[in-house]
Amino acid sequence: MKSTLKNMVLVLFSITAVAALLVALVNNITKETIAQTEQRNKDLAKLEVLPAFEGEAELEEKCREIGDFKVNVTTVKANGELVGYAVEAPSITKNGYGDRIYLMVGFVEQDGKTIVSGVKVISQKETPGLGANMLNPGNSLEQSVLGKSPAELTFAVKKDNGSFDALTGSTISSRAYANAVETAYAGYLWAKGELPSEEDAQSGATTTDTTSWATTTECQNETEPEAQKGEVSNE
Amino acid sequence: MSKLQLITRGIIKDNPTFVLILGMCPTLGVTSSAINGMGMGVATMAVLIMSNMVISMIKNIVPDKVRIPVFIVVIASFVTIIEMLMKAYVPSLYASLGVFIPLIVVNCIILGRAEAFASKNGIVDSALDGIGIGLGFTLSLTAIGAVREILGAGSIFGYTFAGDVMPLLFILAPGGFLVLGYLMVLFNKLAKR
Repeated sequence: MKSTLKNMVLVLFSITAVAALLVALVNNITKETIAQTEQRNKDLAKLEVLPAFEGEAELEEKCREIGDFKVNVTTVKANGELVGYAVEAPSITKNGYGDRIYLMVGFVEQDGKTIVSGVKVISQKETPGLGANMLNPGNSLEQSVLGKSPAELTFAVKKDNGSFDALTGSTISSRAYANAVETAYAGYLWAKGELPSEEDAQSGATTTDTTSWATTTECQNETEPEAQKGEVSNE
Repeated sequence: MSKLQLITRGIIKDNPTFVLILGMCPTLGVTSSAINGMGMGVATMAVLIMSNMVISMIKNIVPDKVRIPVFIVVIASFVTIIEMLMKAYVPSLYASLGVFIPLIVVNCIILGRAEAFASKNGIVDSALDGIGIGLGFTLSLTAIGAVREILGAGSIFGYTFAGDVMPLLFILAPGGFLVLGYLMVLFNKLAKR
């Protein structure tokens, strides 16, 4: 078709208008379902790192900001009894090979001791076949923390005299992973109000990085800053 | 050209990856495993069929000088709509394909077919062309992904048989170029006979 200024403007305008209208329409229809699915997936990840339990789960969220990063601590209760804590935390001081690594770490209390009940990688941009192996169930990093008491762990890879068995050929990714677990543990201690005092930190009684935690602030959450309560069913 | 030929042509004579050499960016980027290659191929095919049909429908009202922006708007809208629908109604599929969806907008195969075929042919033929080229793309990407996965990770479609002994190089970017090059030679040698 021959182009004139009039038909070019007319056609381009009407096509973009129709396209924009369609996209807006579909967005309107799907917006709510997408938000629900995302929330449910997040809630499921929280339950996945904790041991199975009976009944409805009650979630209570607390959040803390360290610089630009958020640490989300969710207390999970069932039938009024504490199941454990699910902490979503980034690797704050150490970058992975690609980007920061976000982990969801579950903590439970057993015989007066804190135990890591599960770890799930929420987001990572590591190299496929190398650092991305942290996604595989039963990898060496996961094995280094699963069922262990975090108070007895040193949050570094074995090469740096820590207690984490690094992934083959991925020391940098493994360091970031260890750092994210450390941040999660600090978040857990904070949520319980058991954060070690600075004297403890200086005397070396704890390996948890309390100095960075001291600089944290309340989250500037878009939702209400009060503890959020939600209910999900555990399958 | 018969209807069947329209489809087979996209797979062999006009194979987008090995013969037309279009869409190299997603090809090299996502084929680190067979299932990734297949996912990208299927997602591209869905967009390609629909954009081909719509462009064939509106070809007579679009002035020549603005046809490229119009095609891009149509393709980008389709990609966005498909992404939103998948996210809302098939979240499990979105979880595995989601990262590839935005890449489709910049895939030259789709714009290439809009320009070279859909803007000159009828709706049915354009849809068939979309199916053919889409299948060709899917099969090529699955083949590249499978070879890289077998050589680099010792597994196929996630099923591991060799594990750590394989050279990791094939999963990384240089391996992608190597495999693509050798498969391209092999394909053209076989197709020419």
